[in-house]
Amino acid sequence: MNIEDKIIEKISSFPTLPSMASKLMGLLNDAEISASEIGRVIQYDPALTANLLKAANSVYLGQSRTVDSLSEAFFRLGTKWVYQMSVSSLIYSNLNRPVNGYELSGEALWRHSVAVAQMSDILCEQLKIKDAGVVFTAGLLHDIGKMILGEFVSESFDDIQAIVINEKIPFEEAEKRVIGVDHAEVGGMTAERWNFPPAIVETIRWHHQPEKAAIQSDTIDIVHVADATCLIQGFGIGSDGIQYKLNNDSVDRLNITSKILEHAVSELVTALEDIDMMTSDIPAAEAVGRL
Amino acid sequence: MSLKVLGISDLQVSKTSGDVLITYSLGSCIGLTVYDPVAKVGGMVHYMLPLSKIAPDKAKAKPGMFADTGVPLLLKKVLELGGVKDRLIVKAAGGSELMDQNKVFNIGERNYLVLRKLLWKNNILIKAEDVGGNYSRTLRLEIDTGYTTIKTREGESEL
Repeated sequence: MNIEDKIIEKISSFPTLPSMASKLMGLLNDAEISASEIGRVIQYDPALTANLLKAANSVYLGQSRTVDSLSEAFFRLGTKWVYQMSVSSLIYSNLNRPVNGYELSGEALWRHSVAVAQMSDILCEQLKIKDAGVVFTAGLLHDIGKMILGEFVSESFDDIQAIVINEKIPFEEAEKRVIGVDHAEVGGMTAERWNFPPAIVETIRWHHQPEKAAIQSDTIDIVHVADATCLIQGFGIGSDGIQYKLNNDSVDRLNITSKILEHAVSELVTALEDIDMMTSDIPAAEAVGRL
Repeated sequence: MSLKVLGISDLQVSKTSGDVLITYSLGSCIGLTVYDPVAKVGGMVHYMLPLSKIAPDKAKAKPGMFADTGVPLLLKKVLELGGVKDRLIVKAAGGSELMDQNKVFNIGERNYLVLRKLLWKNNILIKAEDVGGNYSRTLRLEIDTGYTTIKTREGESEL
């Protein structure tokens, strides 16, 4: 079996995302997701609801009123917040694992993924780009290909790294040269197999090379810039390090200035605290008690 | 040995024997160590951005996020623990960049320039530094000895 067949076989046997996450992502095909649609999907998952209430109450910490129902969480924190927290919570256990080859130990892949998702959302806000959840979700899943390609990278890491250093080319280009595919390509194939919305498939596929996408889109540009920012800022770095290229056309198309970028970076650390609360081991007992 | 890990925007000082301060994944961020070899006190900051005017509220909550709030606070805390300004050994690492990045993205370079300016104003010299390039770094400081190391894709060495 050649290496390409082995990778395709690995994609086929790779465990799919929780069905609830796929259902939520299915809602992204509509221009706007409504609170009632999300509510219909997630109301049957008590653990998720408990986690959401735990996070909602941490946002309102110290206030006399507590958030004690899903509808109140929607009302107080907004539909987008509930969507983002739900999809993050559902995908957490899939992404929170070590990735061989890239030496992403413990929760590094999760930390990087969630940082890119949050950074994408912050950039959308600052640039006044409307996003119902596609950008956030694409950011969350952009490196999914690393989980599949990891074992192949592990076998050839020294060869890949030698090319990166000697020829000063980005890691994913060296990956493609040595293995035949890169992690973005494998991620795109996986996303397609899982029937993700096409905008998410395309963004995962071209997150390092937005110039090669058939159709340019804000989503690809945003996730590319968010990924570059989180890499250079050191959020969840593996053995591939920060050996990636920035596409300046994406920065120009989005009209990102130093001020916008720095402000977004300063927002990131605090934004990550909400999701940390969702996924932390602090018991959700109090929130569950109110269900 | 007690390993104290600094995350992004963290600042820590120590005079406890056996303590080792460490910070991982320095990209465009800068890790700065300050050490007094006589008093055996030291500290480290891992800042992300040059100037706090971009988000003063964040600087208030997390002074270690910015060079202009984190560096003076680090110096102040080391002096409070018994460090003496003339004896301080200051080392810096980080300030990397991505391949092909343009001016908008030169946070690493600006992080370094603001640091130079701040230390120059305070009459403090940088004893050793490892900045720039397209790779990330791990910075480590031993409180007992002041022994400072830098780890990159090339391996680990003394800074």
